[in-house]
Amino acid sequence: MAEVSLDHIEKVYDNGFHAIKDLSLSVSDGEFLVLVGPSGCGKTTALRMIAGLEQITAGDLRIGERVVNNVNARDRDIAMVFQSYALYPHLSVGSNIGFGLELRKMAKDKVRDSVTSVAKTLDLTSMLNRKPKQLSGGQRQRVAMGRAIVREPEVFLMDEPLSNLDAKLRVQMRAEISTLQRRLGTTTIYVTHDQIEAMTMGDRVAVMRLGELQQADSPTELYQNPANIFVAGFIGTPPMTMFHADLTIEGDSATIHIGQREKQHITLAPSVLQQRPGLRQYNGSDIVVGVRSEDLYLEVEGNAPVVVDTELVESLGSSKHVHFLLDAKPVSEDLLGGGVPDPEDIARLGTDDGTRGVAALGPRAAVRAGERMTLGVDTEHVHFFSPETGLAIRA
Amino acid sequence: MAQTTLTSGIPAQSAVRTPPPAPKRRRLAPHQWLAQYAWRHVVMVIAAAYALFPVAYVFGAAFNPLNSIGGTEIWPKNPSLENFRSLLTDPTQPFASWYRNGVIVAACASVFNVLLGSCAAYAFSRFRFKGRKVGMMTLLFVQMFPSFLALTAIYIIMGQVQDVFPAVGLDSLAGLMLVYLAGAMGVNAWFLKGFFDTVPMELDESAKVDGATHGQIFWGIILPLSAPVLSVTGLLGFTGTLNEYVLASRLIQTPEKRTLAMGLQQYISGQFDKRWGTFSAGALLAGIPVILIFLILQRNIVSGLTQGSVKG
Repeated sequence: MAEVSLDHIEKVYDNGFHAIKDLSLSVSDGEFLVLVGPSGCGKTTALRMIAGLEQITAGDLRIGERVVNNVNARDRDIAMVFQSYALYPHLSVGSNIGFGLELRKMAKDKVRDSVTSVAKTLDLTSMLNRKPKQLSGGQRQRVAMGRAIVREPEVFLMDEPLSNLDAKLRVQMRAEISTLQRRLGTTTIYVTHDQIEAMTMGDRVAVMRLGELQQADSPTELYQNPANIFVAGFIGTPPMTMFHADLTIEGDSATIHIGQREKQHITLAPSVLQQRPGLRQYNGSDIVVGVRSEDLYLEVEGNAPVVVDTELVESLGSSKHVHFLLDAKPVSEDLLGGGVPDPEDIARLGTDDGTRGVAALGPRAAVRAGERMTLGVDTEHVHFFSPETGLAIRA
Repeated sequence: MAQTTLTSGIPAQSAVRTPPPAPKRRRLAPHQWLAQYAWRHVVMVIAAAYALFPVAYVFGAAFNPLNSIGGTEIWPKNPSLENFRSLLTDPTQPFASWYRNGVIVAACASVFNVLLGSCAAYAFSRFRFKGRKVGMMTLLFVQMFPSFLALTAIYIIMGQVQDVFPAVGLDSLAGLMLVYLAGAMGVNAWFLKGFFDTVPMELDESAKVDGATHGQIFWGIILPLSAPVLSVTGLLGFTGTLNEYVLASRLIQTPEKRTLAMGLQQYISGQFDKRWGTFSAGALLAGIPVILIFLILQRNIVSGLTQGSVKG
């Protein structure tokens, strides 16, 4: 077991592409850290640098006490699970799992014992003599896991190991990997683009965008206190509804004004200004407001009312997701997007008519698509961001 | 692409793919069987007959004591082993030595060819170094000329090598082997590189993380996975070398050191003494090692060995 620390790591490819910019991150012993971000954000590059498959341009990488920048992958005492599993097709499951041990010249019977016990853990005992092509996707995934854990390495590195599985199996393997990691207590760095995977599996989640670390925190902290607009938009399903507004403060009372055609005025709870005195400097100017779907209610009483046009109602059984259009200026792609445009991003960006948003209402909420309705906003839990830098106004 | 995707961007078609259950064998009525399968057999038989017809003539000539091309029939009137006897007993024509020389040279040349070619191919496929592209283009360029175009140069070089190092110079089988190696290296390196490129890079990386050196990756992962293409390359190299006449006839002078192809030529090169029967008998014997190697390697020459390594 070991701590992994990245100290001002940079990666510039030969073609000049700056993939990782000043990445500093430390993963404590036994921790499960998830690197998450949209495609092209540099998360896989970061992982491959830790694995020793990619040269580090600048900065120090430590595993334990040792600086390993120039240590070969095979001498770093790490194990990696690849997105494609990378099983050796000509070797049986047993030989695949034992491959690393045999390379290390471990005695034959010891290799067999280790392989047997790992196979037992992963429920692969009956398949040890099969070839990878005779296995299902989930079984291959488990063989790849087995190959990693059998060596008892200092660090596990996993590169989107579940992305080739179907949705149901992914949920199951997610739980299996988490349980296994907790039991083994091995430091783990896990890369994914799926924020649900990140939230459910990680002790800590590091969100990356365009080669830069945005925020590294516990899943709850990321969700409740996102550091900037990108993190706020990336983490959480359904995504946070964010829009531009004008802020005015009179004494201890703050009001936001939204709307391009008809102005709406939302008076914020007094506690908001007390908790975030920093808001005062935005008095009379533009600000970005973010509302989580669960902070919007059908009841207006006790909340600030806001009028929206419903576009679509998704009934999920336990709740109803109401997609609506709010007459307010949407947040720009620069602040919200993750580099490579994603159709989902574009859909949620909004239109010239306003901002698209989602409210999670109770299962019995009487809502119909196409109607104009009034929602109550729990203003105590509203998020504020600087429209210039995108950073959260938290104090 | 029109494929549906789940919210997280994963193709809806999952990695878990179970093979469809084998269809139950239905008993076909005779006319259905004829329509569905019989025509394939007919085509196969015609193709086989077309390919085997010349071979049948060689058989006929080999067992025909008349020893002339005019008297050759597919079924000789008085079949005998006379041609084989004269082939193996004639003291002026040491066929057994030629046979041995030919097989040894061809076997060694093809083994080293595959080995050297795959080493070069591995480097070209997996390493990124200065001069990689230039090196590959040079190899390709050199291959554009047939090796007997360089015959004069090779002859002179081998003559000079003989002055310093007679063991691999002119009139030595080892020297001939070296020339063969140089001739086939380039095309094999290209051919094998093309195949190595299809072996997923993740396998190398995975092995690297598992603790393998480049040598262990090469011997333990790349070569076993390339068995089919190595077999084909080796087999083609073997038959090519066994049949080669032009270079061998210039570089080898001592009669005992002749290779099989050169030796067989002796039987039909005399102006008034063309022993086609003996030649055919020798040609039949020459086919044996090729057929044997083919049978041994046949198991390896199957496709889809890399199936199941990555993804579904």
